[in-house]
Amino acid sequence: MPDKTNIYKPIKAKLLEVITESPTIKTFVLEPEQDFSFKTGEFIELTVDGIGEAPFTPSSSPLETKKIEVTIMKTGYVTEYLHNMKPGATLGIRGPFGRGYPVEKFHDKEILVLGGGCGFAPIRSLLYNLMAVSDKLRKVTLCYGSKTPDECIYKPYVDELKNTPKFEVLRTVDEPDESWEESVGVATVLLDKVKIDIKNSIAVVCGPPVMMKFGTNKLLEMGYPEHDIYLSMEKNMSCGLGKCGHCMMGKYFVCKDGPVFTYDEIKDQPDIWS
Amino acid sequence: MENFYSVLISEWNRAMENLLQQYEIYAPIQTDETIDYEIIDADNISEAVYNIPKPTTPLKTFFLPVKENVTKPNQSEKTRIITGIPSCDLQALNILDEIYLDKEYQDSYYADKREKTILIGTSCFSIQEHCHCISYEVKPYPESVCDISLAEVGNKIHLKVFTKKGEGLINSLKKYATISKSPQIEIEEIELKQKKIENQLLENNRDLPDYKKTGELVEQAKDEIWQKYSSTCVSCGACATICPTCSCFLLVDKQGFEKVRQLDACQYPGFERVAGDEDPLHGLAKRFKNRYFCKYFWKPYKFNSITCTGCGRCIEACIGKINKNELFRELAQ
Repeated sequence: MPDKTNIYKPIKAKLLEVITESPTIKTFVLEPEQDFSFKTGEFIELTVDGIGEAPFTPSSSPLETKKIEVTIMKTGYVTEYLHNMKPGATLGIRGPFGRGYPVEKFHDKEILVLGGGCGFAPIRSLLYNLMAVSDKLRKVTLCYGSKTPDECIYKPYVDELKNTPKFEVLRTVDEPDESWEESVGVATVLLDKVKIDIKNSIAVVCGPPVMMKFGTNKLLEMGYPEHDIYLSMEKNMSCGLGKCGHCMMGKYFVCKDGPVFTYDEIKDQPDIWS
Repeated sequence: MENFYSVLISEWNRAMENLLQQYEIYAPIQTDETIDYEIIDADNISEAVYNIPKPTTPLKTFFLPVKENVTKPNQSEKTRIITGIPSCDLQALNILDEIYLDKEYQDSYYADKREKTILIGTSCFSIQEHCHCISYEVKPYPESVCDISLAEVGNKIHLKVFTKKGEGLINSLKKYATISKSPQIEIEEIELKQKKIENQLLENNRDLPDYKKTGELVEQAKDEIWQKYSSTCVSCGACATICPTCSCFLLVDKQGFEKVRQLDACQYPGFERVAGDEDPLHGLAKRFKNRYFCKYFWKPYKFNSITCTGCGRCIEACIGKINKNELFRELAQ
C-alpha cells in the first residue's frame, strides 16, 4: 500500500492498455508498482507527470490488487493528456481515498442502480463487487443512459451482466440510431419500467449532475426513503485528504466524508448538483 | 508562582544572542509603520518589540509557506524560536493542527515544522483598531498553545512556562543569564495590565456578537447582505492570505511526480471549478459568502477549534474596505 509517511507522494503505475469505450471515453489499465487495494466507491488521484492530477473512482473490481482500471471521459486539461497516452507510459497514483459504497448494508436487498454516461465507471466496480456477493443479494437492476448508442460504454461487460443470474440491465439513449432496439429518452425513463420491491431495496445513482438531480427526485417520487438513496458526488478534489478545501460541500469534505453519501446526509448542503 | 521566571532585558538579549548558534530566532521588529516577524541576528536583537498586538504576517506562514515541495525529503532545519507571538496567532494554530496533524493523514512537512519550533507568546499591552479577540473566546494574553509566554515590564522580561519544551529553553537560557523566580508583586502587575486590555477590548467590541452566535447569524443572513458587503470585493484573496486560520491550498504538479503545496483561497475565481467547467462558486458574491459560511458555520460543525481568532487582519488588508465586524453588527441588529 502507498507510503503513509508522505501523503502527497504518488506511487508509480505502468499503463498496460488503453481501451476505447466510446469516442470520448477510454479505460486505462494500470499496473501499480506495488499491490493496491481499494473498496468499491473509494477514489484515487491519478497524476500525469508534470501536468496535473485528477480524482477518479476505479472501474475495476475491488478484489483485484495487481491491476487497476480507470475509465475517463475527455473533458478537461488532465484528461486530454491522458487520452493521448500510449501503453508503456508511467502514471502516478495516490489513495485510495474517501468513503465508498457500504456493500454489507446492501445484503438481502434488491439493488437499483441508475447510471449515466461516464458514471458507469464507479458503478462497474460496484457491480463487480455485487457479483462476487450475489448469493447474499436478492436482485440487481442496472438502468443506464447515454446520449447515443456510440456513447454506451462497456458493451462486452453489459452482455456478460445480461447473462448473469439475479442481474438485469435496462438501457436508454437520448438519440437512437437505426440499429438501437432498447429504450429511448433520458436515463430516468427507465425507472418507469423497473419492477422492484422498494421497501426491500436501496438505490445507487452515479452520473452527470443533471441526471443525479432528476434521478434522485424520481426515486423519491417512487417512494425510496432519503437514507436509501446512495449518491457518488463529484467535486474538485485536489488533495483527497480533507485538507485543501476545494471539495467542501457545506459541512462535508467530499473527498474524505464521501464521495458516496446518502441523499439525507447531503440534501441540506449547498450546490450539491453543481 | 513556580513557573514564572524573570530576567533583565540586557541579559535576555545577550542570552538570545548566544542561542543563535543553536537556533534560528524570529521576533517582531518595528520598521516605519509596520511591525513584523523578522529573523534575528546579533545586530537587531535589541530591536525586538514585545507586548504589542499582531505582527503584519500571520504565524501560519512559518508552518505553511506560500509554496512548499511536499514530495522531496524533509530538509532538516535548525530548531526555530519564534518569540513575541500574540494570543490570536497562537490560538489560530489549533485549527491548523486539527487539519494538518490529523491522525489518519498527517502532513509530515507541517508536523516537522511544528516539532522543530519553540513558540514564545506575548501578552498584548496595547490594542489596534480592529482587534476583537475577546469576542471570539480568545484572551489578549497566551493561555495555551505556546511553550512560554513573555511579558516585558520595567527592565525585566517575565517568562511563564507552559510546556517541557519551554522548560528546556529556560534551562538553556540559564547558561547565559541570571534567571530568577518572578516576585509575586511583578506577576500581579502583569495581570493588572492584562485585565486592563481585556476590559478595553470588551468596551471597544460591546456590540459585536460573540463567536457562538456567528454561525446562526451567517446561516440566517439574506442574500442582500452578501451582495451588499461584496460589492467592493475584487476577489484579491487578501483576507484569506492574511488570515491566520485560512489554510486552503492547491497541489501543483512538477516534473518527476513532484508536488508543490501552494496556498490558495476560496475568493479566487475557479476555486471549486471542475473539468467540464461546472463551478459552484462562479459568482463573486457566492465566493464572498462561502468564506463566511466556511469560517462561522461549516468548520465549527466539523472541527473543535475556532476558525476566527478576532485578529482583525482581514479588515486591515481589504482594499475594498470591507469590514466583517460591520457585517456582523448589521446581522446582529
